[in-house]
Amino acid sequence: MTLNGWIDFSSDAFIVAFYLYCASFICFAIAVAGKRWSNRKPEDHTSRWGKIGFGLAVLGWLAHLTFFFTRWYGGGHIPTSNMYEFMTFLGMAIMFAFIVVHLIYRNMILGAFALPLIIIIIAYASVFPSEVQPLIPALNNYWLKIHVTTAATGEAFFAVGFAAALMQLIRVVDFTRTDKAGKRSQFWTEFSLFVIIVLIGFLVAVFTFRAAGYESTFNQETIVIDDAGIAKSSVKEVIYSLPPLVAPYNSEAVSFQSFIGMKEPLFESPSWLNGANAGRKLNTVIWSVIAGLLLYGVLRLFARKKLAAVIHPHLSDIDPDDLEEISYRAIAIGFPIFTLGALIFAMIWAEIAWSRFWGWDPKEVWALVTFLFYSVYLHLRLSRGWQGTRSAWLAVIGFLVVMFTLVGVNLVIAGLHSYSGV
Amino acid sequence: MFQNTKCECGHQNPVGTVLCESCGKPLLEELLTDESAPLEMRYDGVARRSQKANPHIVDRIWNFFSSVKIAVYLIAITLVGACLGTIFQQENTLINMTERSEFAAFYKEQHGTFGVIYHALGLSRTYESWWFVLLLVMIGTSLVICSLDRVLPLYRALSKQQIRKHLQFITRQQVVYNGTVEGDQEAWLTELGKQLKRKHYRVYQEKGALLAEKNRFSRWGPYINHIGLIIFLLAVLGRSIPAWHMDKYLTLYEGETRQIPDTNYYVKNENFTVDYYTDDELANNQKGTKVVKLYETEARLYECTDACDDPMKEPVLTEVKHHNIRVNSALSYKGLKLYQNSYQERVRFISVKPSLINSATGKSLGTFELSMDHPAEKLEVGSYKLTLSDYYPDFSLDDKSQPMTKTREPNNPAFVIRVNGPNIQAAGELYIYFAMPSEKSKYYEKIINESFKQRGDNTGLFTIKVENPIVDGKMNNITYSEYSTYLNIRVDKAMPYIWFGAAISMIGLIMGFYWQHRRIWLRFDDHSLSLGGHTNKNSFGLRADVAWALGKTGIEVEPKSLDNRRNVR
Repeated sequence: MTLNGWIDFSSDAFIVAFYLYCASFICFAIAVAGKRWSNRKPEDHTSRWGKIGFGLAVLGWLAHLTFFFTRWYGGGHIPTSNMYEFMTFLGMAIMFAFIVVHLIYRNMILGAFALPLIIIIIAYASVFPSEVQPLIPALNNYWLKIHVTTAATGEAFFAVGFAAALMQLIRVVDFTRTDKAGKRSQFWTEFSLFVIIVLIGFLVAVFTFRAAGYESTFNQETIVIDDAGIAKSSVKEVIYSLPPLVAPYNSEAVSFQSFIGMKEPLFESPSWLNGANAGRKLNTVIWSVIAGLLLYGVLRLFARKKLAAVIHPHLSDIDPDDLEEISYRAIAIGFPIFTLGALIFAMIWAEIAWSRFWGWDPKEVWALVTFLFYSVYLHLRLSRGWQGTRSAWLAVIGFLVVMFTLVGVNLVIAGLHSYSGV
Repeated sequence: MFQNTKCECGHQNPVGTVLCESCGKPLLEELLTDESAPLEMRYDGVARRSQKANPHIVDRIWNFFSSVKIAVYLIAITLVGACLGTIFQQENTLINMTERSEFAAFYKEQHGTFGVIYHALGLSRTYESWWFVLLLVMIGTSLVICSLDRVLPLYRALSKQQIRKHLQFITRQQVVYNGTVEGDQEAWLTELGKQLKRKHYRVYQEKGALLAEKNRFSRWGPYINHIGLIIFLLAVLGRSIPAWHMDKYLTLYEGETRQIPDTNYYVKNENFTVDYYTDDELANNQKGTKVVKLYETEARLYECTDACDDPMKEPVLTEVKHHNIRVNSALSYKGLKLYQNSYQERVRFISVKPSLINSATGKSLGTFELSMDHPAEKLEVGSYKLTLSDYYPDFSLDDKSQPMTKTREPNNPAFVIRVNGPNIQAAGELYIYFAMPSEKSKYYEKIINESFKQRGDNTGLFTIKVENPIVDGKMNNITYSEYSTYLNIRVDKAMPYIWFGAAISMIGLIMGFYWQHRRIWLRFDDHSLSLGGHTNKNSFGLRADVAWALGKTGIEVEPKSLDNRRNVR
C-alpha cells in the first residue's frame, strides 16, 4: 500500500471508530434509561447493556488506535501536530482513561456520560482540516511524541473525572427543593448541560453549513509593527463557512452568499480580539449559541421539564459516594501524568527547543493554571466540607480550565503554540 | 485555655490531639456527641506542631503558614494572577521595545482604554512583578512549614501504633464490619492475618486484636513532592544570581566570527542553510506556500588561548566544538549553550575579487581580493602595488558633498585605491571602486573617478572591475552571505537543580497517588468482632480487600455494605 493509501485507510478506520462510539453510547443510554422496559431485573438489564456498550467502546477504541498508527505510518510523523490530530488523540486518550476507570470500578453507567464527551471531542476534531501536514522545524523532535501524548493522557483522566462529577451533580440535585440554595444548584446543573448542548449546536451548525457548501469571503487588513518599528499593513483573505453575522475587524466583503435574506454582516468584530481569524471565531461562537438555544428549546419542548430532571430519576440507584470516589480517583490518577506531561516534559522540551524551560507563554501559563487548579481541588478535599457536591463542582470547572488551555488559548490568545491552533 | 489531654488509657497527649495517640479514642468534645459519625482521620488525629497553647509571634507566623487553608488561598491567588497576565501580551514578548513610554503607547494603540489600565496596573509585567514573586515565595514558605508541621508528628504516630484500639475508634472508621465469630477466636484471627498477608498487608497480632497495614510509604508522597517543589522554587530563585545565568543574542552572517560577550569564547557561523518543503511534501491546503523544513547554522566554537585582552594583537583561537545548530539541537559546551533562535534573509557582502584592467587594451593585469570587514592595506597585482587609501563601508555624501560612511555595515562599500608601479606617474594613480553592482553606485564611481582625473590624481590608465560577474547564472568573484543567523547564547547553572527538584516532586506524586495507605483494625469483645478500616484514598479498594479476606475466613459480606460513610454528605 502507498503512504497515501495508508492515510486513506486511517480515515476509514476513524469513521468506523466514530460509529462504534455512537453505537456504544446508545447501548449505555439503554442501560441507564431502559431499566424498566423489559421484565428482567433492572440490575441484569443494566449489566447486560452496559457490557455490550463497553464491548463496542473497546472495539471503537481499537479502530481509533488503528487510525492513529496507520496515520502515523502514512504521514511519517506522530499525528499530534495540529488541532485535528491533537483532538482526535485527546478523544483516544479519554477513551483509554475511561477503559481504565471502568475496569477498576465496573460502573456500567459511567459510559453513558463518558462516551458523549468522547464523541463531541472527535466530532470537534473533524471541524479542522484533516490533511497530513509536514512538521515545522520546532516540532520536529522526539519530544513531540512524549510531551503531547502524556499531557493529553493526564487531561483525559481529568475528562473522566469531569464525566463522573457531572453524573454525581445530576444524581444529587434535588428538584423538590424550592429554597434559594436548592434553586441555585438546579440552575447550575441545568446550565452545565446547556453548555454541552451549545457544543453540540456548534457541531450541528458547522456540519450543516459545510454540507450545504456555504462560503463567504472577506479581505481583512491588519497592521503589524515589525522589528524595526515600522508599521506594515497586510491584507489577508478570511473565508467563512458559517453565514457571517460578524465581519472580521477592518475588513471588506469579497463575496457574500446571502442567507435567509441577510445580505451583509450585522456588525464588525472588536479590535481587541487578538488571535488569528478572531472575527470568524466570534461569528462561530454566536452561531453555536443560536444553534444550541434552538436545540435546547426543542429538547425542552419534548421533555416538558429540565433536562437534568429527565436524567435524574435514571441515576437514582447509583450511590453518589461511588461517583465521587470515581471522579476523585480519575483526577488522582491523572494529576501526576498531567504534571509530568504538561509541565515537566514541556519544560524539558522548551529548554531544548526554545532555550528556556519556562517563558510565561500563554499556553505554559494555562498549563500551570490547570495544575494549580487541581492542586487546590486536591488540597480542599482534605477538609471535610469540600467533599461531595462542592468537589464535584470543582471537577467540572477544572475540566473547563483544561479545555480553555487546549482550545480557548488558541482561539483568543496568540502565542508560541499557535501552530497547533485553528 | 485549659484542656485535659490525658486519655482514659493513661496516655498523655499533646494539646490539639484529636484522637488519642495510643488507643485512638476520640478526645475532642464535639467528636463525642455523635457516636456514629465517621472520624476525621487527617494526620491520624495527632496534634500538629503549630497547635501550641501559648503562641509567640514566631509561632503566629509559623501558624499562619502552616494552615492548608492559607496555602489554598495562596495557590488560588497565584492562579488568578497568572490568568491576568495572559489577557494581553506581556512586555517581554515585544523585543523591539525598551522604553516605558513605548510600551505605554503600544498598549494604548492595541487595546485602547483597557490597554492603558492594564499597563498602568503593571499587569503587562505580571510575572516579574513584586507581588507575583512574593506570592511564589509565600507558597514556598507555606510548602516548608506545612510539611514540617505535619510530617514529624505523623511519623511519630505511625511508627508507634497500638494494635488494640479504642472501640469507638474502630466503629467510627470509613469501613466497618460488626459481627460474631464462634469457636476459636485466636485461630480465626491468625487465619485472617494469613489471608491479609496474601494481599501484601503487614499483620500485627496480640490477644484478641489485630492490626494489618500496607503501603505506609505512600503517606510520605505528599511531603516528598513538597520537598521537590521547594528545591525547584529555590533553583528558580537561584537563576537571579548573575553568574548563574546568561541570556544573550548574537547575529552572525555567514563566515563571521564574533566574541560571545563577557566570555572567552568566540563563535563562527561557517554556513547557514534553509530548506523548504517541496510541493509534493505539503498538504493540499498548503501547496504553493513556502513552509520551512529545516534551518541550521554550521557553527564553530573557539576558545581564546592567547592575546585575548590585547587590543593590538589578534586573539589566538582554538576550536573546541563544531556543531550544526538547529531548533531542537543546540551547541553545548561546558554549560554554555548556543541555540538557533531565528534567521534573517539579508544579503551582506563578505568579499569581492575585482581585476586591475588596462583601460586601453581591456586586458586584465591580475585580480585581488577586497574583504569588507578587514580589507588589506597593501596588495600586489603583477608588478603593481596597490594601497588602500580610504574605505567607506556604507558610502554616502554628507551635506557638504564630502564622502562619508553612514554605518559600519557594508551596505554600499566603496574603496579608494592608489596604484603604484612601473611606467606610471610618481604619485601613482588614484581610483575609487564600488563593489555594489547597482546603477547608482556605478554612477557615483564614474563621477568620482572623473573628478580624480580632472584633479590629475589619475590618467584613466586603469579600470577596476569584476570580470565575468555572472557564470552559469551565479554570482562570480563575489562572496556574500544570504542569511544572518540569530543565535541565543545561554548559561543556566540552576538547570540541574531545577530538573532534580522536578524529579523529586514527580517521585512524591507517584508515591502518593498510585499507592494508598490502608489499615485494618480488629478487636474482640467477648464474641463480638469489631473491624474498622481506613485509607487516605480509594476506600473502594480497601472495602474489596476486607470483604475478600473475610470471605476467605467464612464471613460473606458485600463490599458495599462495609461502607460507613452514610449521612456524611
